[in-house]
Amino acid sequence: MSELKTQELTINMGPQHPSTHGVLRIELLTDGEVCMRAIPHIGYLHRCFEKHAENVDYMGVMPFVDRMDYVASMNNDIAYAMAVEKLLGVEVPKRAEFIRVVMAELNRIASHLLAIGTYGLDVGTFTPFMWAFRDREFILDIFEMASGARLLYNYLWIGGVWMDVTPGIEEKIKEFGDYFGPRIDELDTILSYNQIFINRTKNVGIIPLETAINYGLTGPNLRGSGKKWDLRKNEPYSIYPELEFDVPIGTGEMGAVGDCWDRYMVRVREMRESLKLVKQALKQMPAGPFRAKMQRVRPAPGEAYFKTENPRGELGFYIVSDGSIKPYRVKGKSPCFTSISCLDEICQGAMIADVVAIIGSLDIVLGEVDR
Amino acid sequence: MDSKTIAEKLKEKFPDAIETFKEPASGAHGDPWIEVSPEKIHTILKFLRENENLSFDNLLCISGVDYSDRLEIVYHLHSYHHLHKIVIKTLLKDKQNPQIETVCDLWKGANWLEREVYDLFGISFKNHPDLRRILLPDDWEGYPLRKDYKHQDYWHGIKIGM
Amino acid sequence: MKKYFLDIYRGMRSILKGMILTLIVAFRPKATIQYPFVKRELPTRTRGRLYCNIDDCIGCKLCAVACPVDCIYITANKRGPEEEIPLTSPESGAKQRKFHLPQFDIDFTLCCWCSLCTVVCPTDCLYMTKEYEFSVANQQDLIWQFGEGQKPGPKQKIEPPHLKSVK
Repeated sequence: MSELKTQELTINMGPQHPSTHGVLRIELLTDGEVCMRAIPHIGYLHRCFEKHAENVDYMGVMPFVDRMDYVASMNNDIAYAMAVEKLLGVEVPKRAEFIRVVMAELNRIASHLLAIGTYGLDVGTFTPFMWAFRDREFILDIFEMASGARLLYNYLWIGGVWMDVTPGIEEKIKEFGDYFGPRIDELDTILSYNQIFINRTKNVGIIPLETAINYGLTGPNLRGSGKKWDLRKNEPYSIYPELEFDVPIGTGEMGAVGDCWDRYMVRVREMRESLKLVKQALKQMPAGPFRAKMQRVRPAPGEAYFKTENPRGELGFYIVSDGSIKPYRVKGKSPCFTSISCLDEICQGAMIADVVAIIGSLDIVLGEVDR
Repeated sequence: MDSKTIAEKLKEKFPDAIETFKEPASGAHGDPWIEVSPEKIHTILKFLRENENLSFDNLLCISGVDYSDRLEIVYHLHSYHHLHKIVIKTLLKDKQNPQIETVCDLWKGANWLEREVYDLFGISFKNHPDLRRILLPDDWEGYPLRKDYKHQDYWHGIKIGM
Repeated sequence: MKKYFLDIYRGMRSILKGMILTLIVAFRPKATIQYPFVKRELPTRTRGRLYCNIDDCIGCKLCAVACPVDCIYITANKRGPEEEIPLTSPESGAKQRKFHLPQFDIDFTLCCWCSLCTVVCPTDCLYMTKEYEFSVANQQDLIWQFGEGQKPGPKQKIEPPHLKSVK
């Protein structure tokens, strides 16, 4: 009897696939159930951010920046605003810095909640997803009180914030602080330390530290691989040096260092740290003006690169000014773009079902990948 | 090490390839940068990455900028070991057929970043393993981030623009 | 073999723990509301549909310049030399209205609710209302007119074809 003939099969995953977190197409080259290569094809959500930015004034870029990583708009705004402020040399009032940090950290919690909830959904559990959205709603309500919008805020402006926070918001944030701590414990019980979840994610999609650095991974993906690197700590900006917090890293508690569970757990632990930061910043918030006095934004010719720690990694903005009211060039270097570029390397030899788990653990937002 | 020391060090090593070290003018703010000649870019970046005192192991960003008379590629590098960073710039005078050597073999992350520059500026990277368009469709015409770009009217029967 | 049964035991235990927790959560107050019947109370700064009080508008076009998506269209004609120049209302600073404003259109298909236009308005005549339900049967209905002598609302109301046939 002659041998059975086998051949590699190409499977197209996406662009409309629930586990790709947006419109991402992955070309899977499979041998049976094992994935030989995973080639991501992006660009389905390309909205010409960089070309847009060249055609509006510095302030008008802000709404477009919001729409890059639409789950963490406040963090995007902080990166862009600080890049322009670096170019301008403007000093931001202390109160504005505190408001920014409170908002950014709340948004980090909201973003991680979404990442965790949908990750649970990817690997087959539904309840944590609903709980995560319930808690995220609380944060969105706070943002709505402050800025009037629920998702795309345009609240942090160049030189400060749009308006001072509404009276009553501090009580609301305090209430959230008391409410949310126990919720993380519940999340731990139902998802993080659930044996089925652990077995599903441990030793899957291991990214060694060398690979992570070589690919330029940042944020929780890098920390999951065991590198203690956080821009808020290592290259502190804004008021982070005045606040106390830890940088959680992946330790290989359940399997190897840098597997999906480690990356997931870094996010859960980061939420606790963010909560600490919010409480501290709220306590120390001084009174004073909320926006620096400035004329229309018109930086002198020059260029600046500024990066901040976003929920998904380091978001950098490279801005070139030619002295006019419009930026000459704005380049956004998004963390998700680099995260997804290493997918091919870590998916080799994984099962097809694990590819879903790996994409979920990288926590990509396609709005930011494609810009 | 600050940018100035690194620039001096590079000047010692590659006296003919380093063109200028520029700091922002007195009134302006921003980052200083080192301008290098495009032929030597790979050698210089390799030196920056592999020299023990420099060891730039983290490539932050590769961006292209279009000026009226030239194209620029800007490399932002950072080192996890020594915690210093540097901006390397290189100028391409030939706007019709700009070419430069790839740095994919030094940082794997450069692969997609270079593809993006190729996609939006039309700068082709020599020896790149997989130089395709990344954000735009494969059969798109023109390079959108060039200042003189005019979009095509129709793409596969779809009207473009408003 | 031992690991196999250990895994089963641990799996069952985690499920049981989760179930108990879910049961506790089930008796907490509901987080949802029955949306079309019950509506949320919106905060004061809510960004809803833009509204222009044209009697206070001085035709400075700052909003159209600030708009990052260019969705505000204004036609301003200078008043003649012998025409009387009216003032805006006292609350908005009683400024001179030097222009006729036959057209003040906002295209809500483009608007991105960034609120940049309302901030620059010197007389606060352009502001955001709390209205957030925009669904229409025809895209044209989202282009609103606010010009002088016009009734604020859709520029040209086009009845959807399927409704016409019913009549």
